[in-house]
Amino acid sequence: MIKIENLHVSVGGKEILKGINLEIGDGEVHAIMGPNGSGKSTLSNVIAGRDGYEVTQGSITYKGKDLLEMRPEERAWEGIFLAFQYPVEIPGVNNTYLLKAGVNARRKHQGEQELDAMEFMQLVKEKAKLVELDQSFLSRGVNEGFSGGEKKRNEIFQMAVLEPSLALLDETDSGLDIDALRIVAKGVNTLRAANRSIVMVTHYQRLLDYIKPDVVHVLADGQILKSGDASLALELEERGYDWVRAEAHV
Amino acid sequence: MSNALNHIRESAWRTFEVDGLPSSRDEDWKYTDLSRIAAVLGESWWSAEAGEAVSADDYLIPDLNAYRLVISNGVVDLAASEIPDAITITPLAALLQDDPDAAVELMLDDSDAPFASGVTALNSARASDGYCICVASNVKLDRPLHILHLSSGGAAHIRTGITIGNHAELEIIEHFAGSDSAAGVTNSLTAIRLAAGAKCEHYRLQLESGKQWHLGRVEVNQKADSSYTLHAVELGSALSRVDVVDDLNEPGAESELNGLFVLSGRQHVDHHTRVAHEAPHCRSRENYRTVLDGRSHAVFNGKVVVAKGAIKTDSAQSNANLLLSNRAEIDTKPELEIYNDDVKCAHGATVGQLDKNQLFYLKSRGLSEEEAKQLLTFAFADELLAKMKSRAVRRYIERAAFAKLPNLSGLEGILV
Ligand SMILES: Nc1ncnc2c1ncn2[C@@H]1O[C@H](COP(=O)(O)OP(=O)(O)OP(=O)(O)O)[C@@H](O)[C@H]1O
Ligand SMILES: [Mg+2]
Repeated sequence: MIKIENLHVSVGGKEILKGINLEIGDGEVHAIMGPNGSGKSTLSNVIAGRDGYEVTQGSITYKGKDLLEMRPEERAWEGIFLAFQYPVEIPGVNNTYLLKAGVNARRKHQGEQELDAMEFMQLVKEKAKLVELDQSFLSRGVNEGFSGGEKKRNEIFQMAVLEPSLALLDETDSGLDIDALRIVAKGVNTLRAANRSIVMVTHYQRLLDYIKPDVVHVLADGQILKSGDASLALELEERGYDWVRAEAHV
Repeated sequence: MSNALNHIRESAWRTFEVDGLPSSRDEDWKYTDLSRIAAVLGESWWSAEAGEAVSADDYLIPDLNAYRLVISNGVVDLAASEIPDAITITPLAALLQDDPDAAVELMLDDSDAPFASGVTALNSARASDGYCICVASNVKLDRPLHILHLSSGGAAHIRTGITIGNHAELEIIEHFAGSDSAAGVTNSLTAIRLAAGAKCEHYRLQLESGKQWHLGRVEVNQKADSSYTLHAVELGSALSRVDVVDDLNEPGAESELNGLFVLSGRQHVDHHTRVAHEAPHCRSRENYRTVLDGRSHAVFNGKVVVAKGAIKTDSAQSNANLLLSNRAEIDTKPELEIYNDDVKCAHGATVGQLDKNQLFYLKSRGLSEEEAKQLLTFAFADELLAKMKSRAVRRYIERAAFAKLPNLSGLEGILV
């Protein structure tokens, strides 16, 4: 699905990512954990195409194409989806219509017929049910006045509607109550598929109880210092990150 | 024509001859230059000839169920109108016959009034027509009144007098539009008097052709507990200058002035507003927003004056501006003049560009850069349109503004 090689990224002249190597196969679920400020969101943002990041070295290949050459909307059309750590409020722009525009832009790009209003509403209703999002959220402004947890749930709802190939969930579990976490996890699990890869950035092993990752990575000091299976998350929960650093820097 | 009226017109004409048009030396006209009007419209521009008249049918607002008064090139056209029985609408000629005093009152030129100028003097001196609307006490018109000012170039100096009686209600849509078959100037002066407890919802939609200069004035005089709401929309015209003078003369009066400009090319729009709190316990709100593209230029000057005795005044004013191009220009000046301590007044102006986080969010969902920009722009403008109670008018203005932002055509309905 995606292959990141020796990725170096600077923000405002300061190097944040210092040689990331990461490969995610089709249908795989990877978790990325790591201390605050280690560069997890930076990595997600660079993949999604946010500007303000300078890639000084390295490459990202997505479905065989040079991802860094693509504009953010092209990446969306090609199936990349970022669930934001801090979803943005856009008053006045309708939550559902934004998705309709997004879905149809992508279909157009892929040479498919655009969905008409009826087909789209059906899709939206079905997906809203999946993440148990109340219908009233559909007609509101994008994230406008949503609570922290509602925003996160709305991100997963958007993911469900947009049906991406590569979903990056940046701390989608932060700020969710226990029930919401279960619902969101159920939504994500339903979306697991052989042609869809998922990257979950998280601080908590708890999420991984619900969504079992194939691989867990530790991102610290701008590098992936260690990778392992789901049991690595348990070990991190118990021991913190210092031992990983110590091990990596010997 | 009555002698008294002749006298008014002649004296107004002398005022104009002596004072001429306001110039940039006048503080209130610092940014708006009318001196080129003669170059564009000809030496005697105030009596420029119109092109072939246009049909009202081409300028109706879809889904608007309203009575209609058509003013064609500055002259009341009753034949094309649909006048309600519940109120009276009297053109100047009929007024002169039936009620000459009212005709004189309608056409009076008060050169001491705020923002009075050669433009207002001309409106009296050269009036192409005028009319009075009278809503008797306790009458509430069942439908809005669509006042359609149509121009096909030429000069139209039109005078409107509206009197709304005690606890009566009126919703009017003053709509300026027309063809660009000839260059022209619209000079419209509307005076509205609200008696105690009266209510007026006033849409003022300026969608004139790019060859029409637009000069407007709205005077509002409010008695106790009356309520006035203005939605001033500026989309058309090459140059538009509108003055709004709202006097809250008795306790409990409320006013809300909303303004939206969406400008492109070399359009120039200037609104000067003056809200005077003359009595205690009045409330005023003012919200102006502008969206400026190309080399357009907007001017907003909003003055709130609170008199000595106007205690417990509650006034708030805001002006937000979005510049889509670095060649567009905004001059904004909120002004407060307060002569007592017992008031609550707030005002502020912002000039900004689009929010980067919002732009990225939209693009990450698949909208192109251009679509995302225009959508955010539109959402910003639409927050003001959301204050309109009339859905038909709101949709109409949304469409017209959408049309000025070419990449949004596929996104209809995306606004909340
Ligand atoms: N626009 C920016 N300007 C300056 N510094 C930035 C910017 N964006 C990120 N950084 C810095 O880059 C580093 C990595 O930030 P990033 O948001 O990627 O961390 P993170 O691993 O996601 O942290 P958290 O777990 O707290 O979300 C931080 O030190 C941060 O302050
Ligand atoms: Mg982060």
